[in-house]
Amino acid sequence: MKKHRVIFQPSGRRGEVADGTDLLDAARNLGVDIESICGGKGTCGKCKVRVEEGFFEKDSMDSRMEHLSQLTEVERKFLKPSDGPGMRLACAARALGDVKIFVPEKSRAGKQIVRKAAKELNIRVEPAVKKYFVELEKPSLHEVIKGDLEKLLAALEKNYGLSGLSMDFPVLKDLQDTIRKGNWGVTVSVWKGREIIKVEPGFIEASYGLAVDVGTTTVVGYLTDLATGKVMATESMMNPQVPYGEDVMSRITYAMTNPDGVGRMQKAIIDGLNEIISNITKALSAEAPGGGEAIVDMTIVFNTAMHHILLGFNPEHIGRSPFIPAIQHGLDIKARDLGIRINPGSYIYVLPIEAGFVGADNVGVLIAMEPYNMEEKVLIIDIGTNGELLLGNKDRVCSTSCATGPAFEGAQIKMGMRAAPGAIEKVKIDPATKEPLYKVIGKEEWHINLEKIDAKGICGSGIIDAIAWMYRAGIIDKSGRFDMNVESPRVRKDHEGKPEYVLAWARETSIGGDITITQGDVRALQLAKGALYAGAKLMMRRMGLEKLDKVMLAGAFGSFIDKESAMTLGMFPDCDIDNVYAVGNAAGDGARMALVSLTKRGEAEEKARWVEFVEIAVEPAFEKEFMQAMHLPHMKDSFPNLKKLIEKESPHVVIKG
Amino acid sequence: MVTAEKRQELLDRLKNAVIQYDEDGAKEASNEALDIGMDANDAIFNGLVSGMEEVGRLFEAQEYFVPELLMSADALYAGLDILKPHVKQLDLGVKGSVVIGTVEGDVHDIGKNIVKMMFDVAGFTVYDLGRDVPLDKFVEEQLRTDSDLVCLSAMMTTTMMGMKKVIDDLRTKNPNVKIMIGGAPVSSDIADKWGADGYAKDANNALKDAINMVSSLKKLKEEAEAKKKG
Repeated sequence: MKKHRVIFQPSGRRGEVADGTDLLDAARNLGVDIESICGGKGTCGKCKVRVEEGFFEKDSMDSRMEHLSQLTEVERKFLKPSDGPGMRLACAARALGDVKIFVPEKSRAGKQIVRKAAKELNIRVEPAVKKYFVELEKPSLHEVIKGDLEKLLAALEKNYGLSGLSMDFPVLKDLQDTIRKGNWGVTVSVWKGREIIKVEPGFIEASYGLAVDVGTTTVVGYLTDLATGKVMATESMMNPQVPYGEDVMSRITYAMTNPDGVGRMQKAIIDGLNEIISNITKALSAEAPGGGEAIVDMTIVFNTAMHHILLGFNPEHIGRSPFIPAIQHGLDIKARDLGIRINPGSYIYVLPIEAGFVGADNVGVLIAMEPYNMEEKVLIIDIGTNGELLLGNKDRVCSTSCATGPAFEGAQIKMGMRAAPGAIEKVKIDPATKEPLYKVIGKEEWHINLEKIDAKGICGSGIIDAIAWMYRAGIIDKSGRFDMNVESPRVRKDHEGKPEYVLAWARETSIGGDITITQGDVRALQLAKGALYAGAKLMMRRMGLEKLDKVMLAGAFGSFIDKESAMTLGMFPDCDIDNVYAVGNAAGDGARMALVSLTKRGEAEEKARWVEFVEIAVEPAFEKEFMQAMHLPHMKDSFPNLKKLIEKESPHVVIKG
Repeated sequence: MVTAEKRQELLDRLKNAVIQYDEDGAKEASNEALDIGMDANDAIFNGLVSGMEEVGRLFEAQEYFVPELLMSADALYAGLDILKPHVKQLDLGVKGSVVIGTVEGDVHDIGKNIVKMMFDVAGFTVYDLGRDVPLDKFVEEQLRTDSDLVCLSAMMTTTMMGMKKVIDDLRTKNPNVKIMIGGAPVSSDIADKWGADGYAKDANNALKDAINMVSSLKKLKEEAEAKKKG
C-alpha cells in the first residue's frame, strides 16, 4: 500500500500514513491533538488546519495542496475567507501525497486549566488496605514442618488476629526472597482483612492510595496517605481519548466504527493513568521506593461510557436507548489485569453505576454530598459534558441525566474554548452603556477598556456570565432574541446577517478578530439550560415538590460559574441565593472517600441501588417543559428570589415573582 | 357572504395568530371563517400555512427559536382541527405519502415532530412510526403503505449509524423509494455517502428543512409526471 509522509507544525511531529488517511486520523496516530468536538463527523468545523505549500529542503518534502483530496462540501461550509488561504478541515482532507500541515492555535486541543483541586474531607479513615509488620523466627532444622507462608500466616493471626487470609499468587512466588531480604522482618499489606496483596522487606510505614476521577475531558489523580486520608499530591491531564472524540457519543461511535476502537481508547487512558502514577509518585521515591508500586489501593469514578471503555467493554449499548450498562455493581479488579502500574496484586475499586447515563461519577457525588442524610430537599447539579441531577432528601432521592450537550464547556459556541489561559472566564455588562468588563484566565485583574489582554475565546463560566448579563442589559429578551434597536456599536449583525454582541474588540485579543457572542450561541445555551431545568422540574413534580430548599452546583464547571448568573438564566428553579452552593469536584471527593473508607464503599453500593432513576426524555410532559424552560429564566414559572436579587439593578428585566 | 375585504381580514388574522402563536386567536378566526362560509381550503392554505411559512423565515433568521416554533405549531393545529373536517378535497399541490420516524435507540423526537407537522400541513398522508423505531420497521411500513418517501431522524451520533442499514435495505427492496435523513449529527456528506436522496440540515432548522423537503418533493413529483407524459 502506498504511504505518504505527513509533518505537523508547530509540534514537529511527523510520520508515514497510508494513502487516503484523513489528517485528523494522521494527527491522532502521530500524537498531535487537534480540536474535534464531533469526532471527525464533519459537523463541528473546529479542526481547521493549514497546508504549508512548497518544497521544504530540511525535510526534503514537496508539500502541495494537490496532495490532499478535493475540497468537500462540508469544508466549503465551515471555511471562511477570513480563515486565510490554504485552510482545510483535518477530518475531511485526505492525504494523497506528502504534506506539511500547520495546526493553528485555535485548532489545538490545548492544555487546559484543571479546576479539580482537592479539599479537606471530614471522614473517619478506615482504608481497605492495611499494613502489618511482623517479625518471624528464623527457622532451624527442628522446625522443618512449617513453610514460610504458614509461618507468616501464623504470625499474622497471633499478633493481629487475622485469620483465613489468602495470598496473591505472584506475591507468594517472591515470598522467600522477600523474607530473607528483610532479615525475617516484613511488612504485609492486607486487603479487606482477606487477602495478602503485598509483602515488603523490613518495616515500611507509609501506605498510599490513589483516587482517580476520569472525566470525559479531564483526568485527575489524588495521591492519598491511607493512614491519615490526607491528599499528598494531585496530578491531572487532559483525557488522552480526546483526539478520538470530544464527547461521550463521539467516542462510543469511534468504538463502533473502528476495528479495535475500544482497545485503542482503552490503551490511551491506561497509558494516561500510568503517566499520572509515574509523575505523582516521583516525589515519594525517598520514603517509598518502587515508584507506582508504592500505591497499594486505588478507586475510580467516571461516567458510564468512560467506565466501559477503560474496562475494555463494548460501549455500544450504553450509547443508545434504553442505555443498558454491562454491569451496575462496583468491581474489584486486580491492577495487573488492567495493566495499571500500581502494586500489581492490588485491587482497583470501580464505583457502581446508578443507571445508564448516571454513572459511577454520580455515585461519587452521591456519597460525597449525602443527600440521603439531609432533612432539606436539595437539588444537586453535576455539570460536566453531561448534566446529572440528584434531587431529594433522607426519605427519597431521584436521579436523572440531561443531554445538555457540550455548550457549557465552550463547545458549539462560536468563540468557545476550554478553561485555558486566554479564555474569558467572567463577564459583567453595564445595563446603561452596554459596555462589558471581563476577566481572562491567566491575568489577575479584570480587563480595563482598550488594553490588549490577549483574549482568545470564552470558556463555559464566561458564556454563562455574558449571556446572563446580555439579558440583564436588555440586549436579548426573554425568548433569547437580540433587540436590534439597542444603540451600541457592540450590537451588530455578522456577515450572514445574524445578530451578535462584541465582547472584545480585535485590538484586545490575540486571535486577530473580535470575540463575539452570537445569536446561535444564545440558542445553544438555551437548549442546554432548558434540558437541565426541565429535568429538575420533572423530578420535582414526580416527588411532589413545589420548591427547593437548597441547590448544590458540583463539577469542575459548577464550581466556577457565577451562581447569580446561573440563576438569572434559569439553569435551575428558583431558590434563595444564600442556599445555592458551589461544592467543587464532588465526584472526585467521592472517589477519595471510597478510597479511605470501607463504610463509604458500602454506602456507594447500597445507595446506588436505592436512588430512583428517572428517564425524563420519554416523559410525555418533557417536550412542553423543555420548551418552556428554554426562555430566560423561564416562560411561565415565577422566581421570587431572583426577582429580589436582580430586578433593581436590571431596569430592562421583569421577573415574575 | 364572503367579501374580498372580509376574506382578507380573516386570512390576516389566521396568519398572524400562527406567527404570534395565539392559539385562541387561531380558533376564533377559523370558526368565523366557517360561519361566514369561507372555503376551508383557502383559510388553511392562504391563512394558517402562510403564517407558518413566515414562522419558518423568522426561524431561519434565528429570530424565532424552538419554543416559538412549537407554540406556533400549536396555534396552527388549533386552526387545522377546526377547518380540516370541512375541506372537501385537500389539495395543496402535493399528494403523496411518507413514512417517518426516529431510528432505533433514539428517543429524541422534537425535530421529527416538527417535520411531520409540515407534511401534515402540506397534505401528505403521514405514517408516523414514532421514536426508537426498530430498523426493519421502516422497510416493512414502506412496503405495506407503498409510500413515496421515507424520512429517518436521529439526534445521536451512535444511533445515526443505524440509518445506513435502513437505507441499504430500502434500496434492495424498493429501488424507487425516496429517502431523506436528518438530525443533529447528520451531514449532507453522510447522506451522499450512504445513498440518501435528501438531507435535512439539523434539528434547529427542522422547519425550514421540512419546507425544503416538501418543495423538493414537489419537484420530484413534477419530474416524475413530466417523465410519464414525455
